[in-house]
Amino acid sequence: MNHAPRRRSRIARAVLSTIMIGSLVAAPAAAQTATPVAGGTLTFGRVASTSSLDLHSQITANNAFVIDKLFEPLLSFDAEGAIVPWLAESYTASDDGLQYTFALRDGVKFSDGTDLTANDVVFSLNRHLEVVGPIPLTAPIADIVATDESTVSITLTSPYTPFIAEMSQFSNGIIPADFGGRTEEEFFLDPVGTGPFSIGEWDPAGDLTLVKNEHYWQEGKPYLDAVVYKLISDDTQLLQQLQSGQVHAIDALNPANVADAQANASVTVLVSSGWAIEQLFLNTLDEHFSDVNVRRAVALALDREGITAATTFGTAQVANSLIPPTIEYSANDAGIALPYDVEAAKQELAKSAFPDGFSATLLLASGNAQRAQEAQIVQAALAEIGITVEIESIDIAAFRARFFALDYDFMINSGLSDQPDPNGLITFQADPTGFSKSYWTSYTNPEVTALMEQGRVTPDGNAREQIYLDIQTILANDAPYIPLFYPSNIKASSSTTHGLVVLPNGSVRFEDAWIESAE
Amino acid sequence: MSEFAAVRPAPAAAAQGFLGRARRSPALIAGVVLMTLLVLVAVLAPWLATHDPNAQNLTAGLLAPSPEHLFGTDQLGRDIFSRVLHAASTDLRIAVLAAILPFLTGVLLGLVSGYFGGRLDYVIGRIVDTIIAFPFYVIVISIVFAVGAGEGGIYAAFAIVGWVGYARVVRATTASMRASGWVIAARGGGLSDRRVILRHILPNALPQAVVLLMTEIVLIMVAIVTLGYLGLGVQPPTPDWGTMIADGQPFVTTKWWISALPGFAVIYTGIALSLLGDGLADAWRVK
Amino acid sequence: MRPAPLRWLRRTLLAAVPVVIGVVLAAFFLLRLVPGDPARMILGENATDESVAQLRQELGLDKPLEAQFGDFVVSVVTRGDTGDSLFYGVSSRELILKRAPISLSIVAMAVLISIVVAALLATVAAANRDRLPDHLIRIIPTIGLGMPTFWIGLLLITVFAVHLRWLPAGGVGTGPYEPWRSYVLPALAVSIGLVPPLVRSLRAELLEVFSADFVTTYRAAHVPWPRILFGHILRNAALPTVTLLSVSLSFLIGGTLVVEKVFGINGLGMLLFNAIGNRDFPLVQGIALYCALAVVIISLVLDVIIGLLDPRTRTA
Repeated sequence: MNHAPRRRSRIARAVLSTIMIGSLVAAPAAAQTATPVAGGTLTFGRVASTSSLDLHSQITANNAFVIDKLFEPLLSFDAEGAIVPWLAESYTASDDGLQYTFALRDGVKFSDGTDLTANDVVFSLNRHLEVVGPIPLTAPIADIVATDESTVSITLTSPYTPFIAEMSQFSNGIIPADFGGRTEEEFFLDPVGTGPFSIGEWDPAGDLTLVKNEHYWQEGKPYLDAVVYKLISDDTQLLQQLQSGQVHAIDALNPANVADAQANASVTVLVSSGWAIEQLFLNTLDEHFSDVNVRRAVALALDREGITAATTFGTAQVANSLIPPTIEYSANDAGIALPYDVEAAKQELAKSAFPDGFSATLLLASGNAQRAQEAQIVQAALAEIGITVEIESIDIAAFRARFFALDYDFMINSGLSDQPDPNGLITFQADPTGFSKSYWTSYTNPEVTALMEQGRVTPDGNAREQIYLDIQTILANDAPYIPLFYPSNIKASSSTTHGLVVLPNGSVRFEDAWIESAE
Repeated sequence: MSEFAAVRPAPAAAAQGFLGRARRSPALIAGVVLMTLLVLVAVLAPWLATHDPNAQNLTAGLLAPSPEHLFGTDQLGRDIFSRVLHAASTDLRIAVLAAILPFLTGVLLGLVSGYFGGRLDYVIGRIVDTIIAFPFYVIVISIVFAVGAGEGGIYAAFAIVGWVGYARVVRATTASMRASGWVIAARGGGLSDRRVILRHILPNALPQAVVLLMTEIVLIMVAIVTLGYLGLGVQPPTPDWGTMIADGQPFVTTKWWISALPGFAVIYTGIALSLLGDGLADAWRVK
Repeated sequence: MRPAPLRWLRRTLLAAVPVVIGVVLAAFFLLRLVPGDPARMILGENATDESVAQLRQELGLDKPLEAQFGDFVVSVVTRGDTGDSLFYGVSSRELILKRAPISLSIVAMAVLISIVVAALLATVAAANRDRLPDHLIRIIPTIGLGMPTFWIGLLLITVFAVHLRWLPAGGVGTGPYEPWRSYVLPALAVSIGLVPPLVRSLRAELLEVFSADFVTTYRAAHVPWPRILFGHILRNAALPTVTLLSVSLSFLIGGTLVVEKVFGINGLGMLLFNAIGNRDFPLVQGIALYCALAVVIISLVLDVIIGLLDPRTRTA
């Protein structure tokens, strides 16, 4: 069985579509330069700085979406979430599903000019197995062998359905064997990869410059000489600096400003559905939220339709299940969510250890105006059932440090898949022993863990669908986190910036990007 | 006000002079009118408001001003007019309460420092210098950080830093009066220090302190709003002009009234209090 | 009687000593106002007792208060530091000194803008004494007193950056001139609070100088007005302006720190807000200490300059 990567999710294809809205009035210059122009530096505004480039130990978007410009996996996914060949031109799988063979693309070089070989792949994947990290290689790998210069063979101890999807995650990117002869520490300060860019100047508390990889395997790309990731404090400033012409593109746009920005002829807004889920996370180590009745009461008290309407301005879809409809086996239409019902919420709270209510602090990152509004809705909704909410909003770096340490009562945050298979998301959010400790809620349910493991070995089909339905139903009823809505990826650029590709995980590809020259 | 005047050395003449000058001071009249209006609005907010200031209507957000919602609605569908009114009572109440304690301590320390002089005066003077050296917002934000965001933090911060202005002004007047003939005479005549301070010095030092109080309330009001904007002041859902401005920030270019109207309310308050302060200064002939 | 220059200088410098001591004391006790245990406050209520105990040890909170104060003073005096930042793990001094030039540049620009604007307005007002321009110039700026600096900042961004696109909306540009363009709007926002008192003082000073003998003499001698104005009058009015600036320094620095948040500028203000979000105790202390010391030192320098320029003021 030899086939080019398949597994284009039917559902994904139906739901995902990159919508380009914005200036319909093209500037005269745009008409003349329909073909890409090489050169130039693109400035990209983001709200968080890059602190580490170790692909195996990092997860948050500030680091991940720099890492994926430097290192590339054997397979990747496109803007619609379909798996596509990347450093591997093709792969074969044995009929028993235990043996995968990857044929590397010819002529791929690292940014220092050395050739990519099968040994680099073996080294990279082995290091990932060793480090484990936040987006682990959970496949039951027995052996990774370089059968020749450009072929890698991976043997599994048992079949593993999400294997191909897992290989497309950025954490399975390829680095040179033995870190190119340097120490680990040295390597990740100035890494070498096969990606379209390499690291230029880098201030871990500020801006970062990506410079063009002259040896990039995609002919003639990237067009840009460099991309500067500029640290900007909040989303209001992001839009203002785009409008005032200080940056070419921005990583996020408050949905409240989408219509406004679209009306601006000098701005292009990119809205596409993605793999993210906005959620309210309840720390199950907290004395109040450890009580399942309290958590269910919170879920019942929330008007998710209202929250979505008031804070997303038609750019998001109300969430009824953990897995978004852009990923396979979403139970969004299965009617499993606890409905908005204040009376039922009060009854549920009456059954808990805190029938008269209590006080709790809702933690969120500052600099995100949309979340600040969500927090006020949650506060008002919970006041209805006797829970007094104090809102604490802190700098995003501090916010991450706090929830990583499980130092919070409950928080608003976003869950995100890094691959089109549901296993990644479920592992991240429901495995209490993994890096993310059930997305830092410490939610522990042996039944879910058992189902999660079955989901990995059950072949695609109805049986697997049932497993994920069961998992999502349990999670909806236990409510360690309450999915609120599925946000779109919303990016914006100046109308003279072209070719930005937004992936469903929210990362932006720059190899096709170009800027109209000033003349 | 006439009570202060009545105990001055030449009570009748001073009172007449004060009232006479007060009537002729356009600043004072305007200040009193604007301030009375503001206080009325703040006190009557629950009755004047057309809606519950915290009632959300998630599907009726960002409405433009209309007869139903005089100032429109915010992102969560809350009535901005009602919130601006309620915020007036919140912010004014906190500003006035936060101003009282430092006013009393400042006047007291200024009197004591100026009257007795010596080592006590030196120590108080150095404490004043120290507090003044810290940029106002740096020290206020640090104290709010230590004590905790919200109303409590605001009171604590101003109790610690707010008294220095009064202490300076009152000390200067007191020290200059101590050397004057009639105070020396009064002390020689066997009047106790307390009596001299309370009956003779305080009435003369007070007008300046009261004029300063007006400026200080403006300063505190602006600080409360600034802290609210930074998320360190009045906490949601309690309406406050600062948090309202912050909530409206994404809409400054499209729905300007959301941030602008609470901003105008702050400016109105500032003008009213400044006029009142200037007017009182004119009437009392305080420089 | 005027003291001799050297004795006066020594006395002025010595007078600053107790204030410096006071500032160090205040920076130390500022955060010991915390009700309860600072280590517990930093780590949060869910932290284990062991980690709290460990942090107490790290911060020296397990020692008696005198010993803590001793350590603090030694660190401040020998290294100019309030300890390592809990969040960034590097010396607070280093973080502060890296950001300070940005904030100070904005302060400097704000001073410049205030002086130019105030001098213009005061001249017009004084020249039209008690006529309409005078009244307008005296009344309108008082409105500025009640305007929160951050709100002015929002207005300036909307008008000059988003609509007109004349100046950057925020952040700090790169290159030799670009940063200064980025500082214009924040500096303008800060200076609006400073202009009214400056105009008031300058106007009064100008009116006094206008009626002075030497002006009458010059006018009689037909010396052109602009020359009288710029050559003599403004020079005379400069002194009280510098004095007022020295008094307003603390206001200016505080305003700058707040306005950095609106403009997303990574100066000391942003560092302070983030330090508060991170519950970064030593860093907050460090920023407060450095800001206060900056105020003390700059006003001392200004006092000395004023004293040297105009011996009449040497009364200290």
